[in-house]
Amino acid sequence: MTDLTHDAMAVKIGHHTSEDAQRRLRRRYAAERRFKYYGIGAICLGLGMLAILLISIGSRAIPALTQNYLTLQIEIPPEPLVASADHNYMQFVEREILSLFPEAVGDFQAQRQIMSIMPFDAAGVISERVLEDVSVLGGERIDVTLQLTDEAQAYVNGEISRSTPEADRRLTDDQMSAIDRLRDDDVIVVQDGRPVLDIAVNLPFYEVVNQSNFQSLANDALYRLFPEVEGRARRDLRAIISPGAGFELRQMILADPGLIGSSVSLEVPLSDEFDQLAKNFVDRDLPEDQRRVNDAQIAYFDGLEEAGLVTSRFNTQFFTAADSRQPELAGIWGALVGSFYTLVVTLLLSFPIGVSAAIYLEEFAPKNRLTDLIEVNINNLAAVPSIVFGLLGLAVFIQFFGLPRSAPLVGGMVLALMTLPTIIIASRAALKAVPPSIREAALGMGASRLQTVTHHVLPLAMPGILTGTIIGMAQALGETAPLLMVGMVAFITSTPEGLTSPATVLPVQIYIWSDAPERGFVAKTSLAIMTLLVFLICMNALAVWLRKRFERRW
Amino acid sequence: MQTWVLIVALLILGLAGYYLGRSRAVASADGRAASLHSVPSYYGMYVAIWAAVPGLILVLVWLSIAPIVRDNMVLSAIPPETVTAWAQEMLPADLFAAEAEAIAASGTDGLTGPQVELLMVNIVNVAAGSSFVSPTVAGILVGPAEHMNSLGELSSWGLLVIGLGLACAGLYTARRRLAPHFRARNRVESIINVFLIICSTIAILTTLGIVLSLLFESARFFGIVPIWEFLFGTQWSPQIAIRADQVGSSGAFGAIPLFVGTLLIAAIAMLVAVPVGLMSAIYLSDYAPPRVRASVKPVLEILAGIPTVVYGFFAILTVAPFIRDLGAAVGLNVSANSALAAGVVMGIMIVPFISSLSDDVINAVPQSLRDGSAALGATKSETIRQVILPAALPGIVGACLLAVSRAIGETMIVVMAAGLAANLTVNPFAAVTTVTVQIATLLVGDQEFDSAKTLSAFALGLMLFVVTLCLNVIALRVVKKYREKYD
Amino acid sequence: MSMTSEIASEPSVSPPPQAESEARAKMTSRGVEVHYGAKRALHGIDVDILQHEVLALIGPSGCGKSTFLRCLNRMNDTIEGCKVTGEMTLDGGNIYDKALDVVQLRARVGMVFQKPNPFPKSIYDNIAYGPRIHGLAGGKEELDGIVQSSLERAGLWEEVKDRLSEPGTGLSGGQQQRLCIARAVAVSPEVILMDEPCSALDPIATAHIEELIDELRVNYTIVIVTHNMQQAARVSQKTAFFHLGDLVEHKETQEIFTNPQDERTQGYITGRYG
Repeated sequence: MTDLTHDAMAVKIGHHTSEDAQRRLRRRYAAERRFKYYGIGAICLGLGMLAILLISIGSRAIPALTQNYLTLQIEIPPEPLVASADHNYMQFVEREILSLFPEAVGDFQAQRQIMSIMPFDAAGVISERVLEDVSVLGGERIDVTLQLTDEAQAYVNGEISRSTPEADRRLTDDQMSAIDRLRDDDVIVVQDGRPVLDIAVNLPFYEVVNQSNFQSLANDALYRLFPEVEGRARRDLRAIISPGAGFELRQMILADPGLIGSSVSLEVPLSDEFDQLAKNFVDRDLPEDQRRVNDAQIAYFDGLEEAGLVTSRFNTQFFTAADSRQPELAGIWGALVGSFYTLVVTLLLSFPIGVSAAIYLEEFAPKNRLTDLIEVNINNLAAVPSIVFGLLGLAVFIQFFGLPRSAPLVGGMVLALMTLPTIIIASRAALKAVPPSIREAALGMGASRLQTVTHHVLPLAMPGILTGTIIGMAQALGETAPLLMVGMVAFITSTPEGLTSPATVLPVQIYIWSDAPERGFVAKTSLAIMTLLVFLICMNALAVWLRKRFERRW
Repeated sequence: MQTWVLIVALLILGLAGYYLGRSRAVASADGRAASLHSVPSYYGMYVAIWAAVPGLILVLVWLSIAPIVRDNMVLSAIPPETVTAWAQEMLPADLFAAEAEAIAASGTDGLTGPQVELLMVNIVNVAAGSSFVSPTVAGILVGPAEHMNSLGELSSWGLLVIGLGLACAGLYTARRRLAPHFRARNRVESIINVFLIICSTIAILTTLGIVLSLLFESARFFGIVPIWEFLFGTQWSPQIAIRADQVGSSGAFGAIPLFVGTLLIAAIAMLVAVPVGLMSAIYLSDYAPPRVRASVKPVLEILAGIPTVVYGFFAILTVAPFIRDLGAAVGLNVSANSALAAGVVMGIMIVPFISSLSDDVINAVPQSLRDGSAALGATKSETIRQVILPAALPGIVGACLLAVSRAIGETMIVVMAAGLAANLTVNPFAAVTTVTVQIATLLVGDQEFDSAKTLSAFALGLMLFVVTLCLNVIALRVVKKYREKYD
Repeated sequence: MSMTSEIASEPSVSPPPQAESEARAKMTSRGVEVHYGAKRALHGIDVDILQHEVLALIGPSGCGKSTFLRCLNRMNDTIEGCKVTGEMTLDGGNIYDKALDVVQLRARVGMVFQKPNPFPKSIYDNIAYGPRIHGLAGGKEELDGIVQSSLERAGLWEEVKDRLSEPGTGLSGGQQQRLCIARAVAVSPEVILMDEPCSALDPIATAHIEELIDELRVNYTIVIVTHNMQQAARVSQKTAFFHLGDLVEHKETQEIFTNPQDERTQGYITGRYG
């Protein structure tokens, strides 16, 4: 050791306790504290964002839990019902006549030719008959006598014939032969010197009532509350109730035809604007032209509210209905069922395939190029953007294999491919965690490798595999982008009935609603999100519980 | 209908095979199960597999091939007169005039690909009796439609008969083979082994499917739009083609604005996510008391479990208006679909991703290095900044690359919060669009599979796939190397 | 069992010349107990560590010698659930005092670990790390001086002077351990703790380190934990024998090896257990 180093050391003795050192130390500790605060700041930022997200969406979801209803005393006279279905009666006649022309099935032009021998409003006769006696609906066939057009009458009377130049007769040869056939069948007969169409028609109750305008009945009930409002001003008034009112009334009457001719008290949903008004989300101080409801409407509404006709109830519609253009009628049930079907497909495909693949790779596969390739592949697939899986589904499943668009089957298949890596990776980790001693023990007893795996290793690894599967399913439940690609974004107002019927899923429903301009959809979207989050939290909690419950340290 | 009957029948035959096989095996050993080579249930499984599996495979293969065969048979059987009549009705007059001779001469071969597709769709509709087809066309195509229906009928009955025959034959021969010394367990296990191998190759098939479908459709796209125009063009407006004869009807397909927009939003996201994620990982792993760590970590991970569509809604509901108001307050004109809002929200989404990956990476740095540094009198932050972070750098870089790949591939947030118009700008307050937004908007709704507009989505998808794949491969390799270093 | 340590006894080996006037304890331990959760790892240890002297801690595995060593610079703080009671001083000041700064303490009481743990940095940066964080060097030249003198002290300078910018992890095991010693020396500590520094090394590297320890004794007070009794005999002046958390014997190295008082010590030394 040299003298030089001795001196160097001698200088430094006491270096760590000097004044200078203390000052340096204080500076270092200040830096330490700053660093720690950065950390705390980062955590707070993350947690704060989570809180803001949950609060901002959660608070907007609350209004969607309730819906305001207007109690209306609705008269159900037969006249408007029957009359509003007026022009549709023609189709029942059409059905009878066309049954005489089986060769015209599927041939629109031929059908139009045949039907054009009668004036368009011929069906007025039928509504008169129905008004006389509503019970003919759904009963026996009734005989009706309908007029023919002047040209047809002229032809039957022999005033024109095929030899008449086309320009003068306004009847084509086809129409003429149709008339001939109807005459042969005694459908066109001559009554009181005039040729008429005499035919028995069937008036199914359901179809007639289904096409009637029930909304106008509800509107009438509303008009009666404000007798002073007339003419165009009634437009403002009827905007108060939702188009769903007529729907509800129709369901009621279809269920109980006896209601026709009586008066019922019905709670009909308010339309979105007035639901917002009832929930005090409309700023009454804004200038009239910046509001969706005008002053007159606010006055009507206040009147109704004072009369105690507006009630607020839990919005069951939201959890039982499918999508709708009207926020007050829209619900998530359709999307929930769609999500369910989709996840069933995903689970049925990805769980067996994923677990099998994991078992093979972990327990049986030789270490070679191929298995290395598979392993790299799986890790990469786990990080491929989900929308690429959507492209795959579109190109392969829909375009190449011709599977139906918008179907849970295809959506589930795409999501299965997407979840597969997650399940394989989790299952492999779970299998790896089972100690080799268990395998050796079973093999030592003379069990085959497959028996060892199925009897001993797999049951021990199952909790871990299930945890991974549930987490994969939770991911699939929240996935949106690939489903847009395979057409699950359609506007579907009915609850899907099977794996191939058009459907949408909850996240896609959220996406669709988030784009809608109606104010009510903000709350609906938020509530749908909250519902989705509840499902996700339950699934994740289940996964955590499984992990905790069956956690085993070897 | 017949298909379901067949599947149920196959399952029943399989079950029957199991019991028949088992009882036969036991009987062949004179009731002494111990003298059999394998446990009796293996004999049952052997027969069951032979009874059910070939039939089920047949169903799968048949269902995926039969429609294609059927379509081809129908197409090739259509007489040229019918094709001419159909083309006259359905094709634009000038197009028909140009092709009439070819069609009259060679029938369906004279049609272009998309025209054949249209014809096929018409026939399918007529065959299904749907009213989507005009009566004239329906009349023209009655013949082919009936042909198609009869072929379909033939196919499903054929499937039923062949499937059942296969099942019975399998059951019979498998059962006949059973003898006390028959090595049933080995046979069953090797069959299961094959099944396991097939399952594990599905991952490769998926990748192959992605690559092939993207390449195939992109190749068609690059046949319409030159690849250099796509890669280096600065104009993106695929939607402008309204009429077929319009000038410039192919639209503009220069993807540079999309790439720039994607990178801009990803960069903003990373600027948010990397510091926040890294610092929270550091705080949680080195500073937080165990109880804080145990409660904060799972809460932070909730952020990772929130679906992206929720983040998208959060962006348009809260963040974008907030940033716009903030911009207005300081006199900045911020777009409602600003890149900033989408980027910030995407950053929040990526925070837990970065944080949990860096947590792993930081914890992989051996304790001995921390001890070594602490024993020299370093404070915690000095240890972290000067020893741990440099040591963990490759791992953190890997994590960030994975996060970038996520940001680039993220769809819903940008679809909802970013713009649609392709502006070539790096101004974070302006609206930009991204690759994923364009893919989503181009492919949502009805699309014709021959237009450049639709196909361009696949070209974009290919770009997206290639870039994210490269990032992933590099990142996974870096992380793996890093882990090996400290294992 | 009674405490058999003889604190007052004069060292029989001649102390280094500078220390003659201050033959006082550099560090003391009085009634130190350590608990890991509910488990008691050390039972009331009383030891004085004299200046410029090498104290060897020996004993069977799990006897608490490493735990005791880690108490001396409070490295036990980093272990969860570890609680230290009793009094432990450095130059008369209680190191477990709330007012005492642990960073400063560790700068004064350095440590070398069982397994060489060079930072994944260059050789130069490994050595310069301590002086940099403590602000010991005024400039680049001074830092260069510290790096050189530390490496010289650790006997590594000649081997690495041409590749200071290469990573420290690229050195051989013995070189790495000397690098760690140089790293500890560079901070100019007063006491150096060594936790089985040679257990991961081959015999030649071990001989190197042992020589080094003997040289370092001139300037520093050294406490070394070792499994190897020959090593303890070779490098230390005092030896303390730990057994199941008790300090059984503590006296001159020569004496403990030639004339152990306690039969447990004797048993251990003669190799009946270990």
